[in-house]
Amino acid sequence: MQKELDLLDLQGNIVRAYGRYNFPYARYVFLNIRDGKRGRDFVAAVTREVTTAAKWGDGPDDLKKPLSTVNIALNYPGLKELELPRASLIGFPMEFVMGMKKRKDILGDDGRSAPAHWDPIWRDSRETDRYKDVHIWISINGQAMENVQQRYEWLQQLVTQSAGGVAILSGHRGDDGADQLPFQDVHAVFENGQPTSKEHFGYTDGIGDPVFAGLPGKAERVIGRGKLLKNGRWEPLETGEFILGHRDEANEYPVAPMPQLLSRNGTFMVYRKLHENVGSFNAFLEKEGQKYPGGKELLAAKFVGRWRDNGAPLVSAPDAPSKAAWDQKFSAADPAQRDRMLAEFTFENDMDGAKCPFSAHLRRINPRAALQFQANAFETPTALANRRRVMRRGLPYGEVKDASRDDGNHGIVIMMLNASISRQFEFVQQQWINYGNDFKAGNDKEIILGNHSETLPSRAVLAVAADSDQAPYFLSNIPRMVETRGGDYFFIPSMTALRMIAKGLVDPT
Amino acid sequence: MANVSGKAYALTCLCPIRKGQLDGIAYSDEVRYRLHNWGLLEQSPMAKVPQTYLCRYFVLNDVYYESLPGTEFGGTFFDFLSIFSDRFRRKALPKEDHLKSKYLVFSCNLHGDLDTYLRGMWQAISADIQTIWGFCYGFEKVNDADSFIAYIKKCQLNASLFFNGSNDDPLPEQLKALYVKQEFSRFAEQHQGMSAAQLQQAYQAFIQRIEPDNLARPSWQPGQTSLQLGG
Repeated sequence: MQKELDLLDLQGNIVRAYGRYNFPYARYVFLNIRDGKRGRDFVAAVTREVTTAAKWGDGPDDLKKPLSTVNIALNYPGLKELELPRASLIGFPMEFVMGMKKRKDILGDDGRSAPAHWDPIWRDSRETDRYKDVHIWISINGQAMENVQQRYEWLQQLVTQSAGGVAILSGHRGDDGADQLPFQDVHAVFENGQPTSKEHFGYTDGIGDPVFAGLPGKAERVIGRGKLLKNGRWEPLETGEFILGHRDEANEYPVAPMPQLLSRNGTFMVYRKLHENVGSFNAFLEKEGQKYPGGKELLAAKFVGRWRDNGAPLVSAPDAPSKAAWDQKFSAADPAQRDRMLAEFTFENDMDGAKCPFSAHLRRINPRAALQFQANAFETPTALANRRRVMRRGLPYGEVKDASRDDGNHGIVIMMLNASISRQFEFVQQQWINYGNDFKAGNDKEIILGNHSETLPSRAVLAVAADSDQAPYFLSNIPRMVETRGGDYFFIPSMTALRMIAKGLVDPT
Repeated sequence: MANVSGKAYALTCLCPIRKGQLDGIAYSDEVRYRLHNWGLLEQSPMAKVPQTYLCRYFVLNDVYYESLPGTEFGGTFFDFLSIFSDRFRRKALPKEDHLKSKYLVFSCNLHGDLDTYLRGMWQAISADIQTIWGFCYGFEKVNDADSFIAYIKKCQLNASLFFNGSNDDPLPEQLKALYVKQEFSRFAEQHQGMSAAQLQQAYQAFIQRIEPDNLARPSWQPGQTSLQLGG
């Protein structure tokens, strides 16, 4: 039976990456709760405008697509300040209770990614001054910047009406490094006036977002995004990998707080501001690209597993001639075929990593069937990846004004949604991004996101086929290309849960 | 159970700690405190003991009561017995066990035979051994390698607790292998793209520097767990 989700109960950011629905601008606002009762009234007022996952349409009974969207999430101290009963609070997973800062050793947030270097809002949150603690995350996505601004002004009014119940926190760095902005603005990277899905290194983001049972969208999108079965067919992942209160890949309900109405149709979100060291990236690519036999663009593709210009997977287009053929087919294809060309692949014909390196971004964050080093080792070829999938949301921030420098205001705000932060996001970050043993790559880190260190320089191997006459290529002294600038772990409640929290009616008994 | 796997040996021993106190602190807590003050990895006294693959110390205070099996046949069967008498039912329940004393647990994977290893251990760190084992029953009779070997064997538990992550080669060989692997990948990294003649020359210099047949040096240090910058 086709799984049907209660879309009016789910917040819209869970099922939609807004950037892909013509909302290229967004603003993230963080608030501190100063009074429980007035804080709950504020949440109630926001909830009335929260965008759900319901389908948009132009029919008489349809919900119209809005000019801007609103979503809300709470971290653990926020839920406490809203006076959730203790019996519900103790049901939240430990990593969520601890928050992102205290998980820095697991996440590899060291060196220049250490909390001491985070934006002031994150550096000061959950430290000594409770008036600086982040409690609430509110996101506004807009079709145009003015739509975002209008929603923001509405939000400011609600804050004023709360009469000191909540306050907007400042402390986001902006174009001037010392800025204390009261919000984090993000927007798509524009090319020729058109929004793109690219980030500041020039890669296309978010192609391989997971597909799970009940997720609205075309059925064929499951190919390359769901789970691969032994018979070669793709099926959606179980809903409970991404949304609480539903069966997961282990046929269990995810760990979640009581009562069920509080957790069902909610999920956990990792908010992470990542600065991109554009200067280091370009210099490294330029330097190695001059030596690498395949040239600079193939090398850039090797970092990630996709070509920068159109996202062609390296597994399907491993060199210049095959890329030219792929491009030709791609330009003649209709949108559905194009999507399939981008998403449909495994690493079955690349078990030695000769096409897509073991340390490339997409092989690390979603290994598909690549961890099945022997045929038929597992019940399904993707068994080791199915419980480590993460939905990725978010947009780039800032602009690259000088591509030779690291210190501008440019990066990406990424939000990762999953049912278990520790099993999914944290595991991938610790074991697959900052360590390589599962990929038979020893200590090698993921090339782009790895927390490369200056004292113990990182390496990556760009392998060649076992019967090739060519030598493998070694990348050495990989610079840290991405740095953490802050973030925390949030809970995105369902609409039902938001209304219960706002009313102070959560009853775990 | 087999304590031996190839040339690797798995030692598990439980040494009873005397009841008593030192300035108001239980002997068992004092032992735990002293263990906490040992360094880790390269700094651990155990790094000085030849042929130690991996080891672990802890103080075991007691065992936990094994509760009734849930609602499986056995569980309902016990309830059934209450038809006859409650005393009968209680007698059939799992017994509650406790240890007679607290134990110092020493679990160790090593290369070679146990006697040679323990003799090497006594020779390397007898002072450290005495500070840790000094509160154990009967340890006052230990005063040399032979009595130490005899004592440990008396406390030995026949459990084959092997740690994964090492083969059964002698420790110096494993450390050298790790060193050579690290240095060789560094060599490959630093010399790619050279002509065959240059590469051969560099390789000969490399082999001279790393001395693959010399186990003593250059090599990794016992206790070392991660890469270090090469010299």
